[in-house]
Amino acid sequence: MNLVKKTNTQYLLFLAFLFPIMMVVDYFFIQYIVNSEVNEILQHEQKRIDFHLSKQGNLPTSNYLMKTTPLERTFDTIPEFKDTLFFEGYAGKQIPYRTYSFTTSINTRPVRITLKHVLLEINELIWLLFITTSFITLILMVGIYFINQKIYKWAWRPFFENLSKLKKYDVTQKNPIHLKASKIQEFEELNKVISTLIDQVEKDFQNLKEFNENISHEIQTPLAIIRNKVVLLLESENLDEKELKRVESIYQETNKLSKIGKALTLISRIENQEFTRMDQIDVHTVVVNILSSMEEIIDFKNIKISLELDAVSMECDHILGDILFTNLIKNAVQHNKKGGTIKMRLTDGKFEIINTGKVSEIAIEKLFQRFQKGGTAKDSLGLGLAITQKICEIYGFELQYIRDTDTHMFSLFFANKKVLNPSN
Amino acid sequence: MKILVTEDNVELLKDIKSFLEEEGNICEIAPDHRSAFNKIGIFPYDILVVDITLPDGNGLDIIKAVKRENIEAGIIIISAKNALGDKVHGLEIGADDYLVKPFYLAELNARIKALYRRKMYNGEREIRFNEFKIKPDSYEVFVNGHLLNLTKKEFDIIHFFVVNRHRLLTKEAIAEHLWGDDIEMADSYKFIYTHIANLRKKITEKMGVDYIQSIYSVGYKFTDRE
Repeated sequence: MNLVKKTNTQYLLFLAFLFPIMMVVDYFFIQYIVNSEVNEILQHEQKRIDFHLSKQGNLPTSNYLMKTTPLERTFDTIPEFKDTLFFEGYAGKQIPYRTYSFTTSINTRPVRITLKHVLLEINELIWLLFITTSFITLILMVGIYFINQKIYKWAWRPFFENLSKLKKYDVTQKNPIHLKASKIQEFEELNKVISTLIDQVEKDFQNLKEFNENISHEIQTPLAIIRNKVVLLLESENLDEKELKRVESIYQETNKLSKIGKALTLISRIENQEFTRMDQIDVHTVVVNILSSMEEIIDFKNIKISLELDAVSMECDHILGDILFTNLIKNAVQHNKKGGTIKMRLTDGKFEIINTGKVSEIAIEKLFQRFQKGGTAKDSLGLGLAITQKICEIYGFELQYIRDTDTHMFSLFFANKKVLNPSN
Repeated sequence: MKILVTEDNVELLKDIKSFLEEEGNICEIAPDHRSAFNKIGIFPYDILVVDITLPDGNGLDIIKAVKRENIEAGIIIISAKNALGDKVHGLEIGADDYLVKPFYLAELNARIKALYRRKMYNGEREIRFNEFKIKPDSYEVFVNGHLLNLTKKEFDIIHFFVVNRHRLLTKEAIAEHLWGDDIEMADSYKFIYTHIANLRKKITEKMGVDYIQSIYSVGYKFTDRE
């Protein structure tokens, strides 16, 4: 439910709740006002009659006079009001009246004078109130609705514009975000807070990126030194076999660390969009070259390759293109079994590579994450497919993976959907 | 040969120096830009090994200066930045080879020797070791005058061995030498193992001595020493 609907509903609920209360309050209030007005009229009339009696000695003509009742003797009674109904022939129904009785004397004869005044009919009053209150409520509702719409359109516009900008915001892209200014204090404050947050996020992201770059880059020289020293140790004559084994595993882990560093550096360089060239790559040639560089290993594993390669070109940085296909083919060779097969099919915008191999233990959705490695190849780092995925991401390529009992298929769709921002 | 190594990490510099000196070279070191310039200006070198990122300047400037002054020296760039731009640029301005850190010292040694051979003898030189004779440009290996029938990779292995004789070559260093960083994989080690077995057979068939020593599971040493 959006804001304007929510607000309108709240107003409507409030008015629905207020409506009977307004009617009840109005009813008693109006009744009270009318009654006290009638009382005043009757009391005023009593004063006029009293005055006339004392001056003239006879009763004046009065529209309110109902009856005069002679009294046996004089006794002061408190004047009293009474509500009563009289049948009025002209209306054909009973009509409510308020009567007012007081005692006085006409020519020393005590009398009781009763005055009457017509009252509002209750039914009519309720009806009247219902109509007026409804009318007011309706006007209120319509008014509020339009004002809300207006506020929504005018005051909230910068908010919604900023919202859609924020939705499109991507910290990995270097496009700065410019929030639209608003005259409304709260929105302006929100803008300030968001700007501060974005600055912070960008700073953090930048730091993280630099940290990644530095850590993977700066470790290489110390690693090279460790490795050289370890080789010297391995060459030493004084180590027994047990010690040699330990030194050897230091050596192997150092190598692994260095490879991880290199792979992570590559990933962050791809993320930093350091590869901006848009080369026309002849995919056919790239694939054939990669295969020839892996030829001995492929023969060694006795893997049969079948190729169906059309002459297809692809638009991306040639280094990344090379890495992309190298990783896919290497993956198919590395995880293949002895005497297995690899089928490659290259058609316009699509490259398929199907290889035999054991079923991977990695869940498909985790396959492209970093450091995921299948049980069969404990020496692999689990970064190859993460790099492949990263390359696909920046060019808008799509990489699909399907597996059967012992075959694995990667499909690469490389019809460029997104053009890399060349200004970065 | 006379080599100048410019590298800001003193520890790495020491390793490179002692490795190259054990190979019978004269190796001088320059830990920064300035001292590299000073040395190049005074002494003639056969090979310059230059790090790109130096504390007081860019290694590429050294290469430019060398080319400007027409100094005859082979140049190998070593850089921690695996930036292809650097590589292309370095080779464009006249460097002869490019090696990404961390590299194996054996690999550096092989590159230096190959470069020296190309520069000084126009590729005519043979490499000899006891009964072995290697002609790198025709990819031929002779044992006692008999040509060995080798595959390309077997040739690469024996060439790498002979160039780095008496040194421990780990299987990782061999794999990287054969395939480079991107392609080598777990199967490479099995491949190397099998092909070294083939090599031994082919050498002994021609009455050659099998100088290849296995050093546990770490790697191999090609040596006639005990």
